[in-house]
Amino acid sequence: MILRRPLLSLLTAIAFVLMLGPVAILIGVAFTAGSTLAFPPEGLSLRWFAAALEYRPFIDAFGTSVLVALVSTALALALGVPATLALQRGRIPGRRVVENLFFTPIIVPELVLGLALFQQVMVGLQITALGTLVIGHTVLLLPYTVRVVGASLALADPRLEEAARGLGAGPVRTFLRVTLPVMAPGIASATILAFITSLNNVPLSLLLTGPGVATLPVEMLNYVQSSFDPVVAAVSVVLLVLSVAVAFATERLAGFTKVFGR
Amino acid sequence: MEPVVRLDRVSHRFGGRDAVAAVSDLDLDVARGRFTTLLGPSGCGKTTTLRMIAGFLRPTSGRILLEGADATSTPPEKRNIGMVFQSYALFPHMTITDNVAFGLRTRRLPGDEVRRRAGEALELVGLSHAAGRKPGELSGGQQQRVALARAVAIRPSVLLLDEPLSNLDARLRVQMRRELLRVQRETGLTAVLVTHDQEEALELSDTMVILNAGRLEQQGDPREVFPRPANRFVAEFLGYDNFPVLPGAGPVTIRPEHVRLLPARAAEGADEAGLDGTVTAVTFQGSHCLVEVDTPAGGDATLRSVHPGDGLRPGDSVRVALPRRHLVALADAAAPAGADR
Repeated sequence: MILRRPLLSLLTAIAFVLMLGPVAILIGVAFTAGSTLAFPPEGLSLRWFAAALEYRPFIDAFGTSVLVALVSTALALALGVPATLALQRGRIPGRRVVENLFFTPIIVPELVLGLALFQQVMVGLQITALGTLVIGHTVLLLPYTVRVVGASLALADPRLEEAARGLGAGPVRTFLRVTLPVMAPGIASATILAFITSLNNVPLSLLLTGPGVATLPVEMLNYVQSSFDPVVAAVSVVLLVLSVAVAFATERLAGFTKVFGR
Repeated sequence: MEPVVRLDRVSHRFGGRDAVAAVSDLDLDVARGRFTTLLGPSGCGKTTTLRMIAGFLRPTSGRILLEGADATSTPPEKRNIGMVFQSYALFPHMTITDNVAFGLRTRRLPGDEVRRRAGEALELVGLSHAAGRKPGELSGGQQQRVALARAVAIRPSVLLLDEPLSNLDARLRVQMRRELLRVQRETGLTAVLVTHDQEEALELSDTMVILNAGRLEQQGDPREVFPRPANRFVAEFLGYDNFPVLPGAGPVTIRPEHVRLLPARAAEGADEAGLDGTVTAVTFQGSHCLVEVDTPAGGDATLRSVHPGDGLRPGDSVRVALPRRHLVALADAAAPAGADR
């Protein structure tokens, strides 16, 4: 293979090195026994993980991150799933316009969105930093829940609901027994995607953190600005492992569709 | 006997007052225990009619009676209908048994009766062995049989079939037709099937209802409708291909397989109309040829004949003989609106 397509193999190799190289270096640095961000690491140890655990702001920020991710994911689902249902199954005038409106948070630069929320909500309405963070992340995640759940609904036969009605099921039973189970894999994927997106977000969180309230990526940014030791690398590895674990779970859940035979 | 379904001057317009009517002023009786087909080209209103009977669409005007009672505004779940869709619409997250049992469970029947009747319905379509599988593991034909079992299991007052065979390939379609007819005969259910396939309608129907542009063109036993189309639209839809105007007979139609070609100057029989003609085209069609002949007849002067085709070439003179018993007088000479669809 390599001999037959030398150029393609070379480009692929370069791409992999560029993508995974920095990550590999970061992981190496995180396990270093030395005290600089040097590569290769000077011996192996877990001391920087221990240091990270002792650094109070990181622990607090991790709690904030998980809390914000959980609450805003739940809110984005609570708003996004009914919206998707209405868009996919209802008869809404100007459907496409409404649908596109749900995608604007992806198009509008997050810094602009963050600034607007900062000025209007945090300062204007005197809402706490944590509350504003949750609101901001919910807005950010909404397009993902609407689109991912919408995709699973769009693939399903709209006649399914009619079949259920014809068999004697009222609207509520039809929703619980047919529509919801059909959407379930989409909802699961949307949940995981939204959770990761919230957990790793920087630009929006940066503008919406207040005194004593910061998400983990923002706290890491703060830390790097003042000190330069492998603690940040250790925290990055933790965040990386968490994201990969969640992504792996997504893959398993996406494989769920096999259960449905589609 | 009281019809199971009665449509009383039913109309349906999509998208407001000034939209074109999908169905206009349709009167229709569906006889108990019989197989009725709604036949017509796409856009003729047949699916709209079926969806109104099912309750998925409300008529803009007119009444729908089920078992003699006004059901015009009854929601579908209260109509006791069994619906089979073109797309099968099996619940993908349920096993075959759970699919078939769905309608029995919504009726809150006791568990052992649900199991028994779901089992019977699956047995009826020959799929007992697939009971524990998911719909995605079955072929299209098998899925449609499950959909049929699911609709039959609830013992509906009427079985509604919306082009159920259109997604299947040609060979399977013919096989499934027999299956459909067998299940309907064995259960004694009243069935209404929507199709655009005249062969399907001819084979299945006790009563064939031909629709065009939302109006009823002709209805009756296919054995009576087929040899006696009432007008040009029905004739064309059923494969009549010749529309001459004969002196003394007016506008008529005749099937190509009934048009006889004789040598020039030969005499036709006493019970035949004769015309002189010139062959314009000979098209090979496998078991026979389709020969086109220009004649001095009025209307569409080109007549088509099914012929062995041997020895005939464009330019040859022939005598065209039209057996009078196969000539069907038509009420209208002109092609009706929408006939080209």
